[in-house]
Amino acid sequence: MPNADTSASPIVSIVNVSKEYTLGETVVPALRDINLSVAPSEFISIAGPSGSGKTTLLNLIGCVDTATTGQVIIAGQDTRNLSERQLTELRLHTIGFIFQSFNLVPVLSVFENVEFPLLLQRKLGSAERKQRVMDLLTKVGLADRAKHRPSELSGGQRQRVAIARALVTRPKIVLADEPTANLDSKTGENIIDLMKEMNQIEKTTFIFSTHDAKVMAHANSIIRMADGKIVEDAKRSTKSRDQEIRA
Amino acid sequence: MSELFLLIQIAIRNLFASFLNFVIGGIILMGTLLFVVGGSLLSSVDSAMSKSITGSIAGHVQVYSDKSKEELSLFSNWTMPDIAAVPDFSKIKPALLSVDNVKTVVPMGVEGANMTYGNTLDQTLDKLRKAVNARLAGDRSPALNERIVSLKDHVRRIVTVIQEDYKKLTVMASTQSIDPQELRAIEKAASAEFWNSFDADALAHLEFMENKIAPLLPDADLIFFSYVGTDLDSFRGSFDRMEIVDGQMVPPGGRGLLLSKYVYENQFKLKTAHRLDKIYEALHDEGKTIASDPDLQLMVKQNRSQTREILLQLDPLSSQRTTKTLQGFLKSSENDLATLLTTFFDTNDANFIERHGFFYKEIAPLIELYRIRPGDTMPINAFTKSGYIQSVNVKVYGTFQFKGLEKSGLAGGMSLMDLMTFRDLYGYVTPERMAESNQLKKNTGVKFVERDRAEAELFGGSSVVGTGGEKKIDDQAEMGGVKYSATARALMNRPYSRDEIDQGVVLSAAVILKDPSKMEQTMREIEAVSKKNGLGLRVVSWQKAAGQLGQFVFIAKAVLYFAVFIIFVVALVIINNAVMMATLQRVREIGTMRALGAQKRFVLKLVLIETLLLGLSFGAVGTLLGSILVKWMGHNGIPAGSEFLYFFFSGPRLYVDLGIGSLIGAFISICLVTSISALYPAIIATRVSPVQAMHAED
Ligand SMILES: Nc1ncnc2c1ncn2[C@@H]1O[C@H](COP(=O)(O)OP(=O)(O)OP(=O)(O)O)[C@@H](O)[C@H]1O
Ligand SMILES: [Mg+2]
Repeated sequence: MPNADTSASPIVSIVNVSKEYTLGETVVPALRDINLSVAPSEFISIAGPSGSGKTTLLNLIGCVDTATTGQVIIAGQDTRNLSERQLTELRLHTIGFIFQSFNLVPVLSVFENVEFPLLLQRKLGSAERKQRVMDLLTKVGLADRAKHRPSELSGGQRQRVAIARALVTRPKIVLADEPTANLDSKTGENIIDLMKEMNQIEKTTFIFSTHDAKVMAHANSIIRMADGKIVEDAKRSTKSRDQEIRA
Repeated sequence: MSELFLLIQIAIRNLFASFLNFVIGGIILMGTLLFVVGGSLLSSVDSAMSKSITGSIAGHVQVYSDKSKEELSLFSNWTMPDIAAVPDFSKIKPALLSVDNVKTVVPMGVEGANMTYGNTLDQTLDKLRKAVNARLAGDRSPALNERIVSLKDHVRRIVTVIQEDYKKLTVMASTQSIDPQELRAIEKAASAEFWNSFDADALAHLEFMENKIAPLLPDADLIFFSYVGTDLDSFRGSFDRMEIVDGQMVPPGGRGLLLSKYVYENQFKLKTAHRLDKIYEALHDEGKTIASDPDLQLMVKQNRSQTREILLQLDPLSSQRTTKTLQGFLKSSENDLATLLTTFFDTNDANFIERHGFFYKEIAPLIELYRIRPGDTMPINAFTKSGYIQSVNVKVYGTFQFKGLEKSGLAGGMSLMDLMTFRDLYGYVTPERMAESNQLKKNTGVKFVERDRAEAELFGGSSVVGTGGEKKIDDQAEMGGVKYSATARALMNRPYSRDEIDQGVVLSAAVILKDPSKMEQTMREIEAVSKKNGLGLRVVSWQKAAGQLGQFVFIAKAVLYFAVFIIFVVALVIINNAVMMATLQRVREIGTMRALGAQKRFVLKLVLIETLLLGLSFGAVGTLLGSILVKWMGHNGIPAGSEFLYFFFSGPRLYVDLGIGSLIGAFISICLVTSISALYPAIIATRVSPVQAMHAED
């Protein structure tokens, strides 16, 4: 059953994007003229060898970095026209992040870590916040650890907290750069399954990068990159072909 | 609101998260401790000293003539500044009192003078002469007879002591160095024939003793002292720290001198007794020991060698008694009193208290402990404004001290004199008296004072320093160069009215304020009044009037504030570096927050609040410790180790007050230092890119 609606307007739209890093005299091209369109509620894996540009692409989508040329449109907004402040607002309300090293605030409890983005948003009252946080913690199976500090949890548990944190603001997109790299492969697969479950429940778009073939297999579609280019837009292209055929 | 709460929560939990925080906290703790203690100490010294100065002589504000060549300096004891006179105090008093905040105005003239008194032989001969005169006048009472016999014996004893001295001298020095005439005179005075023939021609014998023997005793003394010539009644009313110790207050409107108790003890007391007092105090109050203190050892040595003053003062009867009691006390069979006294004064830590007690119980009642007693009239000499030496006989009514400043040589260096005597010594003659003297001159045929000599006449003399002879304002007093005799004598004894006291020359006036905190403003008002009425007054605060002393305090304060400033800067630099390091250690955390949607503002607040909270909590501990220390010091007081410090502590101990000012100051400085030192790291922290959240842990 297709869980992605490619016919709706794309949540991420990347048009002719290049990214170059300048290291002193030399210019390192990280992305070369990329085009990509992601529909809402997709669950995509980005694959590719080291240095192929996965992280760079995710950073552009996550609005933490800007393209050298080309257009990056997130949730209908062209990021070129946004100020640093507006980009931060966009991240806060539209994008969730899951990091390779979990990146929880060590002095805050599990509950407080998940609550953190909500406090930045200043939209909800404390009762609503509590309900939403506990809801998510129940979903990721850590409701009984709400008062614990991150240092008291295992790596897998920490990444679950991070997933809850990424989802707590009900973002349109969740980005995860190698979320399983610091976990053993069994735990890593569990994390991807959890992400997929969330993708199905919340209808949130997930884009994650990985090296791990096993992990990759859990994705609905895979984008393969090499040398700063998208070399294959696997099942997605098949899918669109299917749709074309059906039509 | 919830965001601020979150920030504070993060800050609290990060308080002890890093070793660097302990470094920062430690500096802040020490800094605030220093600030609270130092600040309290300084403000306590400041207020104690202001009490010392304002309460002893200066008042809150001093005014003096703006024609003065030098600045008023009340506490420079020996070199009096060149201050022009204010010719008529009654002209400035009402103007000063018209200023709202002025409570009282006390006229003053700070000057130096000296006092001479004869040696023991002079004094004994003086007594003998008086007794002989009484007999010549017809008194035949047995009591007088007995007194004459006793005084004659005393003089004979003194001669014996002198003879002993000369014997020792001839042994030590070659006989040529001693004037044979002196030896012959002593021999004559010690001879039995001299004393057998005494009653036959007492006056001639007395004359021989006074002219030939008395000068051989070198203990005649000239004592310099500084004094404040003032309206004594008004002074006493305005400076309520003043209290009479010996004798009595000078009667209202009267002439007289009140010696400072400090000067009285240091200059007029029998040196041996004064040294015993000082040793007693050092042992009893300061916990020192003779064995370990070279100063005390020196005093013991001086007491052993300087027994002559006591020997001279003891008449034969007292000498015998003292010899006997000392023999009993020391369990000695020695018959020579001088040797006994030397042994007696060879004190150590074990026997001192007992001997000190014995001295005051057995020996002191037989001698004069002080060279001047309240009630004595003394000739006082001073240079007038124009260089003449004026001499006035003044009755010493008693001694006084300023409460809490008993031991302070600075506040205690000044004696008090009535304003009339001051004017005589100062040599300034009022225009009224000038006119009166001119009248007298006319009557006695003395030609008019020439116009260009008027000023010199005004100041009681026409010659330059040193060429004038001595002028006495006494029975044959001369005033303004004119003989007064009977008039002057009458002037000496009658009480003066307030008007007479006010209408005359003063050098300055102390202004006591109702509300001292408004001093600056009141000074401006006084200046305005002076200008409006053409009084020509210079207005200075007590700090300034205190002269070098005030400057010293100013410098001490400046040094302290500079030290505090340096500590601040050093703390600032260290804290800045530490916060910088702590921030760099948290780049990934900050990057994560930024990636999650925290604005730069949030990061700025995060670093600032964390450092501020760190500063406030360690600062609170420092303030608490400092306050406890200050309270402890306030309870026990810091002892003023030296007499010099008595003045600064306004008493024997400084009871440090925990100034609310230093607490507020500490709070403000913590906030200031931490925010300033955290500002740069905080700005750097806002530049952390959210990309840095992506970097894997090392
Ligand atoms: N900050 C940077 N400065 C300079 N060059 C960079 C920077 N970040 C990435 N690059 C370069 O851009 C290219 C793409 O890097 P990127 O990190 O996107 O690759 P990746 O696919 O994420 O690799 P990996 O699998 O190792 O994480 C690489 O050649 C890399 O060296
Ligand atoms: Mg990467």
